[in-house]
Amino acid sequence: MTRQEIQDKILKIFSEEFEIENPDLDDDLRDVHEFDSIDAIELLGEIEKLLDSQLTQDEKKQAMGIRTINQICDYVESMASVHLNPA
Amino acid sequence: MERRVVITAASAITPIGHTREEIVAGLENGVSGVKKLREDVELAEFIHSQVFGTVDYDIDFDFKRKYRKTMGPVAYYACQVAKEVIEKTGLKSEFITSGRLGVAFGSIHGSPTVQRGIYRCFSSGSSREFAAIGAVDYLKSMVHTTAVNITKMFGITGRVISSSTACTTSSQSIGFGYETVKYGLQDAMLCGGADEYDTATVAVFDNLLACSTDFNDTPHLTPRPFDVRRDGLVVGEGAGAVMLEEYEFARKRGADILAEVIGFACNNNGGDMILPNARGVSAAIRIGIDNAGISPDEVDFICAHATATKMGDVVEAQAIDRIYGDNPYVSGLKSYMGHTMAACGAIEMVLTLYMMQDGFIAPTLNLDEIDKRCAMVRHVTGLLEKNIRIATIQNFAFGGVNTTLFIKKFE
Repeated sequence: MTRQEIQDKILKIFSEEFEIENPDLDDDLRDVHEFDSIDAIELLGEIEKLLDSQLTQDEKKQAMGIRTINQICDYVESMASVHLNPA
Repeated sequence: MERRVVITAASAITPIGHTREEIVAGLENGVSGVKKLREDVELAEFIHSQVFGTVDYDIDFDFKRKYRKTMGPVAYYACQVAKEVIEKTGLKSEFITSGRLGVAFGSIHGSPTVQRGIYRCFSSGSSREFAAIGAVDYLKSMVHTTAVNITKMFGITGRVISSSTACTTSSQSIGFGYETVKYGLQDAMLCGGADEYDTATVAVFDNLLACSTDFNDTPHLTPRPFDVRRDGLVVGEGAGAVMLEEYEFARKRGADILAEVIGFACNNNGGDMILPNARGVSAAIRIGIDNAGISPDEVDFICAHATATKMGDVVEAQAIDRIYGDNPYVSGLKSYMGHTMAACGAIEMVLTLYMMQDGFIAPTLNLDEIDKRCAMVRHVTGLLEKNIRIATIQNFAFGGVNTTLFIKKFE
């Protein structure tokens, strides 16, 4: 997946699953959109669907500090490199 | 210090309607909300009782996702009646979020629909399915899900009580809320209960031989409290809520006062978990009367628990006879909608308030021939014009829990 494809899919998830439309890519999601820890866990489930692969507990914990769409895209890129293109 | 406690708003979602007008029309016209049990691939073919008190109309739940995400069906019901009650009171958000308003609200076991989904994941044997248990599934299914979804939605910061005592859940909510305001711990309490459509609850009562099975093809003819042909309870769904406020607070802000709560009792039979007990029920009535500071002959109307089980109705009639004789009118409102479980006490309170305001008593539906063993009390068998000054709502639960609530017309 390209970066743009990842971004498009994440924005689609935010629209359909979280009813957050067109967030700025650097918005602090908690402060601006009330995106909370429950949403973060739900998002990880959506990312697993996107990757068609299960994330490990350690991988999920890495995501807990993420605050923006750009950071989410970075995270998905990183996980895709492991889960979609295993060495 | 004991303070007076008044009811300033009420709302219910019931199998016979949602708005006050619909519910009153249902009571006046003898409408039954009992329908055929919906198909359930996991359970339905094994259940002998094929009837359910069903909410089969659309409700316009207008909740934002940030609230919806932690709600199972039971919390939708609870938050809807809570929203309606808060809107009716006109209480300002400064008060609602001040810590002076608390919530007493419960269900019999959270959301069984969500719980079933969790159990499916557990039993799938698949790690992918196991991981599919949602982050919010516990929040939707926990016992206090109704109470805390309400506090979240309205920013309520006062105390939370979430009784879960089966059929006395919401009568305890109202009773404990009443005591909380009466003794000055909160200035107002939003109280009630809810339960969602659930065939597993039917299966449980079915296995205990407590459910109605003789009227599967004519659901509207069951349940039949106090009738010779009664054959058990009918499980139902719904929600009920009332706002309780300290009298002076309500008066000063010009609130519309519907009635005063004057007494509450809760006790236990101290023994059998299932069989009803006339001594325990009689004691609950007596304690409630003493708590209300009235004499038995002042009670005009008894909203009986009256589930239409073989023994339960007889024991309740015996207890009523023992304390009240045949003076107060007695109706069993579950005859209209089945047993709405955790919601029943609150729904019966709301319906009693409506009848108190409108000056009538609805008869027990399907009471065609009174069982001789229940005949010693004053049954209402036809729509009755009656000015109710004092009414009591009686509820009894598995585990031997009994409650009585007493309300007085506000004059």
